[in-house]
Amino acid sequence: MVISQETMDVNFVRKVEALSGTSVRRCFQCGKCSAGCPMATFMEHPPNRVVRLLQLGQWQRILSGRSIWYCASCETCSTRCPNKVHLASIMDALRKLSWDAEGPSKESYVQLANKLFLQNIRTYGRQYEMRLAAVFNVKSGQFLKDLMLGPKLMAKGKLKMFHSKNKNMSEIEKIFTRIEEMRKKGEAL
Amino acid sequence: MSRIGVFICHCGENISRTVDVERVATEVGKMPGVAFATDYKYMCSDPGQNLLKKAIQEQKLSHIVVAACSPRMHEKTFRKAVEAAGLNPFLCEMANIREHCSWVHEDKEEATVKAIEIVGMMVERVKKNRVLPTITVPVTKRSLVIGGGIAGIQAALDIADCGHEVILVEREPSIGGHMAQLSETFPTLDCSQCIMTPKMVDVANHPKIKLYTYSEIELVEGYIGNFQVTIKKKARSVDENKCTGCGVCMAKCPIKKIPNKFDQNLGMRPAIYVPFPQAVPNTPVIDRENCTMFKTGKCGLCQKVCGPGAVDYEQEDQLIVEPVGAIVVATGFDLYSIDEKPKGSMIKGYGEFGHGKIPDVIDGMTFERLASASGPTGGKILRPSDGKEPKQIVFIQCIGSRAREKGISYCSKICCMYTAKHTMLYHHKVHDGQAYVFFMDARTPGKSYDEFWRRSIEEEEAVYIRGMVSRLYQKGDKIVVMGSDIAVGVQVEIEADMVVLATAVMPQKGADTLAQKLGISYDKYNFYSEAHAKLRPVECATAGIYLAGACQGPKDIPETVSQASAAAAKVMTLFAKDQLEREPIVAKVREAGCVGCFYCKKVCPYGAVEEKEIRDRQGNLIKVVAYVNPGVCGGCGTCQATCPSKSVELDGYTDEQIVAMIEAL
Amino acid sequence: MSDLKYAYYPGCSLHASAGEYDLSTRELFKKLKIGLTEVPDWFCCGATPAHNVDELLSLSLCAKNLELAEKVEGDLAVACAACFSRLKFTQHTLEENDTKRKQVEKAIDAPVKLEGHVKHLLEILAKDLGLERLAASVDKPLAGLKVACYYGCLLTRPPEVPNLDCVEAPTIMEDVLKAVGAETVAWTHRMECCGANFTLSRPGVVVQLSNAILESAKAAGANCIMVACPLCHGNLDIRQKEIEGVYQTAYGLPVFYITQLVGLATGLSAGKLGLDALIVSPMPLLKEKGLL
Repeated sequence: MVISQETMDVNFVRKVEALSGTSVRRCFQCGKCSAGCPMATFMEHPPNRVVRLLQLGQWQRILSGRSIWYCASCETCSTRCPNKVHLASIMDALRKLSWDAEGPSKESYVQLANKLFLQNIRTYGRQYEMRLAAVFNVKSGQFLKDLMLGPKLMAKGKLKMFHSKNKNMSEIEKIFTRIEEMRKKGEAL
Repeated sequence: MSRIGVFICHCGENISRTVDVERVATEVGKMPGVAFATDYKYMCSDPGQNLLKKAIQEQKLSHIVVAACSPRMHEKTFRKAVEAAGLNPFLCEMANIREHCSWVHEDKEEATVKAIEIVGMMVERVKKNRVLPTITVPVTKRSLVIGGGIAGIQAALDIADCGHEVILVEREPSIGGHMAQLSETFPTLDCSQCIMTPKMVDVANHPKIKLYTYSEIELVEGYIGNFQVTIKKKARSVDENKCTGCGVCMAKCPIKKIPNKFDQNLGMRPAIYVPFPQAVPNTPVIDRENCTMFKTGKCGLCQKVCGPGAVDYEQEDQLIVEPVGAIVVATGFDLYSIDEKPKGSMIKGYGEFGHGKIPDVIDGMTFERLASASGPTGGKILRPSDGKEPKQIVFIQCIGSRAREKGISYCSKICCMYTAKHTMLYHHKVHDGQAYVFFMDARTPGKSYDEFWRRSIEEEEAVYIRGMVSRLYQKGDKIVVMGSDIAVGVQVEIEADMVVLATAVMPQKGADTLAQKLGISYDKYNFYSEAHAKLRPVECATAGIYLAGACQGPKDIPETVSQASAAAAKVMTLFAKDQLEREPIVAKVREAGCVGCFYCKKVCPYGAVEEKEIRDRQGNLIKVVAYVNPGVCGGCGTCQATCPSKSVELDGYTDEQIVAMIEAL
Repeated sequence: MSDLKYAYYPGCSLHASAGEYDLSTRELFKKLKIGLTEVPDWFCCGATPAHNVDELLSLSLCAKNLELAEKVEGDLAVACAACFSRLKFTQHTLEENDTKRKQVEKAIDAPVKLEGHVKHLLEILAKDLGLERLAASVDKPLAGLKVACYYGCLLTRPPEVPNLDCVEAPTIMEDVLKAVGAETVAWTHRMECCGANFTLSRPGVVVQLSNAILESAKAAGANCIMVACPLCHGNLDIRQKEIEGVYQTAYGLPVFYITQLVGLATGLSAGKLGLDALIVSPMPLLKEKGLL
């Protein structure tokens, strides 16, 4: 598909810059981020190309791909960028925008894991690892995933069947609802 | 009664588009003291200037205001015209109605009113202008050149060939600089030493060049045409007049294993040494820090074997004062190192490349020494760690350069070309080897430059990979290079035998200290600043000081040589006159009011204020007052603003003139 | 006697899959006479999933936890590298960015407090207690262990945030281990990513990345690995068998938490350090070296 002025959405660049607090335009495509990215081989667009597509306002191509979901947030790119482009923060911003758009992404497993993780915080306060893994397997239809690990971890006391909720659940819940309200009112992105 | 003439310029449409120039002329013509007011399309053109001259004579004008562009642009032009018409040039002032008015406003009515006010202010001001005589100072027709690299050598030879004496000062024991270290030069691959050493010899033999090597600038006093420079000639421990350069001392010196800086510490030298065989002067120097004689008082072998008796352990540093009229600064560059930098430093090193601790990761200059026929390996490409010939070699460009995170945002300009050259030299010497280059952009503007770069790829078979390297690490006897190719969008991993980093070009260490001694300005990287980026590229803002070569910014050899010759031409222009005329915009002290507090002396950035004794006829001291040396005064006005008794005024900018302007508003 | 006192934020994993990290931390601090009081009602910092999709939520969760920690005397001691990173990142971001700070204050309905120091256990051992005092409390030097210190990603990156050590060439883990008599190896993958939280969603990624780490440690002659993060530990220890299966190789590298190794040197028993909870059993190695 040809990139044309109709598909170049510069407003999207501004949005990402506001969310991430870092310049997108500053990148001059040296490729150092991609050279050091541990996850680059799993991505259809390596990190430098994600930034390039972003510079050209090609948000559809980025958000519908799996690259942003395969970023491990290891911060190697941000650390070594010669130009002080904080790519890890840009990735966060892109994921949030994709998440808000109900993710047209091809990468559902990572999104599912994130969703369950955040739900767990809202329900229990602290992570309930056993439940997180179990529900993930059920929802992703991989009933047998890591089946062999379960009993071993159980025997070592690493998988706790029971988990107690925090006492301050109502305060935690309020954080979630306040943020939701701020967003409804347009006070936060 | 003054008869003021006002000349309003349209500047094509630059002014007249937003300012009604005819109305300005009419309104200004009604102002008291104005005898004549007119407008013209291009006041600075030949007909424009003639109009001005004619009006002065026909209308018998006494003062002139030209309402046009900034005085920085054309003040000189109009003052010259005024002078040609027989008026003192300092009775002409400019009213800036372009930069200060037409360019920054859109509303024609408002802009016109403002233009009338600006001109009105200058009319009131010019009434208070006094006739100022041009100041003349004598010129000492000798020049100082600081730095003996190709820039300093070229400038010195050009000036000396013109018949003027040159003092050439070099910090190292030999002249030659970085160019003497290079193997071959782009884009023609001629041997650097072959084209450089004849020039070095010319310097040594030139009757008009006085060479101080192993010397540094200690102090600079004075001003254009009349500098006094104190040079510290460090103790060489060898008498230059007696030494024949036979080299026996060096052969006999028992200390042999001192890393030679000239060879990027790859080769070794004795404690008494010349940095390289073609050194000029060919007189050894004793490195006192490493010499047994100086450390323990026992040895003295070099003195014993020296036939002419030139070795002198008692020699001391000498301070020599040289009067000169002009100074050419040609201190050159240094290379960025990837080593760890002190905390808080603006410049950072490359931890991801091992902070310089991987022995076979070298910089471009080290590669030059490896490739040089006179280098430590005799021109064989052998890696430092084990002396093996690298079969897989990786070059990485833009190390430090274009990396604001590392503290440098500029392009070092020469690395694309010298890396291409390195791949060729490598290919010529290691036939079964493969060179890879990681790069971001290839910047090859210059005559025959791009063709040279393409040759590296197309004929010399270097593999260029567009993408930077994230990390280098030692794995066994290989260096793993983790890079990427952004065109393909894949990671590239190469196990190399040796890695060459094209590190950034930076100013010489101590460039800032020297600048402070000279009173010239420099940028945040310590590169020296030219007076005007386009129109005065080889002059400093400080009169009488000129720049040549990489001390002003990264440059290759042809550009450096051009700039050096240009700086020499500027010096010769200065020396073409016996007396130097300068603007009489200088401060003057009203001695009756001066109480001798000398605040002015403390604040004067030019050191122009002196103390002057006032005595009665019997010779009794009455008081000590300030005196401004008109030759040194830079006309900044700081003294005028500081003086508590209002006893010092800057000619051309007196309080009376400024107050008149304010009152006209 | 040590006069050091800390508030303690264990993080979710230390109360579940990394119980031995929690246990050994408490026991070691008791032994070194360093006060440790768990922050009451602390909850999840949001970890990677929160900042991945909702930075405001991530910052708010961390800010609230920092507020809870203010109620306990002392700087905040954090065991998990991920929690450490998030808490420090929150402090850094809220200090730099007024807009975000105001949004967070609205979300947690309280002023943000940034004065308290957040410290990783490593910092407490190496800097607050100091290497000299640490060396003085050694009972049984860890002679014979050749440790590959694994930093992972988040202890030092990005350079402007944790300020724990040099971002590309840190030595703090090696310094601590040398103080307790162990030998450390120089290796190439000490700061490469292990795959982190892909362990749940894309375990194949973890297997590939962690294999490279184990391979590098083995090649450098290490006989064990040390970590300071429960996530790194999970990937290198729990998945080691699986990795060996996929790559048809045998590493057999026990993966210790820093508190386990230091605890061992101070004379704590295997039980108090939870050594039996490690999946790759360290017992044969420790017995061979006479450390048990």
